[in-house]
Amino acid sequence: MTINKSHAIASWLALSMFLAACAAPTAAPQEPKGSTALNGSGATFPQPLYEDWAFAYSQLDPSVLINYAGGGSGQGKTDITKGTVDYAGSDAALSDAEAATKPLVQLPSVAGAVVAIFNIPDVTTTVVLDGQVLGDIYSGKIEKWNDAAIVKLNPKLTFPDLPINVVHRADGSGTSSIFTTYLCAANANWKAAVNPCKGTTVDWPVDKLKRGQGGRGNQGVAAAVQKTSGAIGYVELAYAKNNGIDYAQMINSANKQVDATVASTTAATVGAAFSDRNSADIVNVASADAWPISGFTYLIVAKDFTDCKKAGKLLQFFNWVLTDSAAISRAGKLLYSPLGDDAKAKSLAALKTVTCNGQPVLK
Amino acid sequence: MTSIPASVVRSPSARLGRALAHGDVPYRLITVAASIVLILLVVSFGLMLWITSAPTRTQFGLQSLISSDWNPSGEIFGSLPFVVGTLLTSLVGLAIALPFSLSIAIFLVELCPPRLRGPVGTMVELLAAIPSVVYGLWGLFAFIPAVVKPLGDFLLKLLGTPTNFIYLPFLSGPFFGTSIFASGVILAIMVVPSITAITRDVLLAVPAAQREASFALGATHSETISKVILPYGMSGILGAIILGLGRALGETMAVTMTVGNVSELPTSLLNPGYTMSSVIANEWGEARSLLHSSALLEIGLMLFATSLLLNVLARLLVWSVSRKNPDQRG
Repeated sequence: MTINKSHAIASWLALSMFLAACAAPTAAPQEPKGSTALNGSGATFPQPLYEDWAFAYSQLDPSVLINYAGGGSGQGKTDITKGTVDYAGSDAALSDAEAATKPLVQLPSVAGAVVAIFNIPDVTTTVVLDGQVLGDIYSGKIEKWNDAAIVKLNPKLTFPDLPINVVHRADGSGTSSIFTTYLCAANANWKAAVNPCKGTTVDWPVDKLKRGQGGRGNQGVAAAVQKTSGAIGYVELAYAKNNGIDYAQMINSANKQVDATVASTTAATVGAAFSDRNSADIVNVASADAWPISGFTYLIVAKDFTDCKKAGKLLQFFNWVLTDSAAISRAGKLLYSPLGDDAKAKSLAALKTVTCNGQPVLK
Repeated sequence: MTSIPASVVRSPSARLGRALAHGDVPYRLITVAASIVLILLVVSFGLMLWITSAPTRTQFGLQSLISSDWNPSGEIFGSLPFVVGTLLTSLVGLAIALPFSLSIAIFLVELCPPRLRGPVGTMVELLAAIPSVVYGLWGLFAFIPAVVKPLGDFLLKLLGTPTNFIYLPFLSGPFFGTSIFASGVILAIMVVPSITAITRDVLLAVPAAQREASFALGATHSETISKVILPYGMSGILGAIILGLGRALGETMAVTMTVGNVSELPTSLLNPGYTMSSVIANEWGEARSLLHSSALLEIGLMLFATSLLLNVLARLLVWSVSRKNPDQRG
């Protein structure tokens, strides 16, 4: 994430200097450059992508200036409820209580994957895990790496007689939310042992057994895993890939071994059962190609705008990120998974419900 | 003979004019104002924490102080693990730092060749200038794997195994590196410079007459240090320790990166733990429910109260020490 972000900022800077030098008149020349500011805040997970999209879109329509401040999903929800931003990003869908505070429209923008990383001495090739084993490790039932259940999934590997140190996020995070939602769906022991069994922070059972530790952020978890012999942890796919960290492959609910990729995460979005607020859990889905530990990240806007020009610009931008092939390929390059067709249709339908002074913004 | 200056004439307006010309009045106003601002700041700080933590205080009362169950998603807020973690990491840090700091300070003042005094002193002060996040990173990536982990494993094997002849339960396992012990060691390194620097200045201020009198009575150098110089500077040294304790209690980043962030009551110093400042830093960003953020603010209030309490206790200690040795200035 950090690498991506600094990269995006660097290219942003370089290109904005280039643009300033050229001042090329493009579309909508009647509007001054950057005259409509669209401000957003929220989850840090999609931040590199939103910044990249904002930059690319500002070349198509120089009249807009799109900002996104990553302060966390909770911050984004607070800001959009108070009306201090025009849009918010959140990894966690709005709760009933949050949705009741103000009429808001929420839609998935992209999907992301979470992967399990590990540090087992003398095991360098890819380990295979499934929901049962991962859940048993995280609930403390499996205590050592040479447990029969792990060996059974990896018959070719030799595991040491080493206690497993379980690393989890210490800060509240959408990554934890996706990961625990998966454990909740895929492992009955976990569901019974942890209450509530999913969330941005949960009461980790391994902590009570003194075999857990918390890391701050993806980098904190990755560092703890890399520096603790016998550790397991979970991070976002993009973080693992960008930092060259090996992660476990998973057996999904169709009993097939899958690798975490943009395509396998997009496959998880297909056939999602959406709530009436356009949110859906897409963990452990039935599709044979789907990566099981996946989740949507959401954009949230007010249901009714008063500034119709701003509403129009913002929704055109959202429409572009969901449908334009350039936007979709940008997401894939940064290891975010574009929505499948039905999820995309759901998001586009949600955009059409946004109004300005009672009138629909997009036709 | 010169004529008497006009300012010596004692008419009130002339006195005011003189005070103004020499800056007495503005000087007094500025210092008084700064002090009032400081007092207001501390009071408003405590007041703000008191008011914003009202939801959890009224709902859970003292329960949150004595319960060790922290589960924000389940809306259960027991903050005992954080209080215990903060006190333990700080005390471990202080216990390790104290002998080091006193030794370095005594060395610098009494035993160090004058040529070395400057460079060693500068190095100690340099340690104080390193940002805490750097200590955290260094601790996590270098110091824990290279020093703390082997040392902890050794302690565990020697004293923390139930089957051994000597078994100390507070050094039992499992031990994975990040722990209260690790944070304590990092904190020790962080507070050594401030305790050392102040202790050195305190020892330097001990009048030469005290030393000479001690030598004249036939005391050896080490007797002079332990029986005359250290007791003379005791209240100043206590002040230095209080300052170090203050830094250890409030330290956030370095501790968060090395303590393990586990919200359970530790049963051993080698267990991971959690501190008050770490849990606020970690969970504030995503604290969405009113109760969760209010519980974090209550922890802030407790940290505030803990620091206040320890400061008062330390003041009393200094006061009682300086009453015992009335000839020194505390």
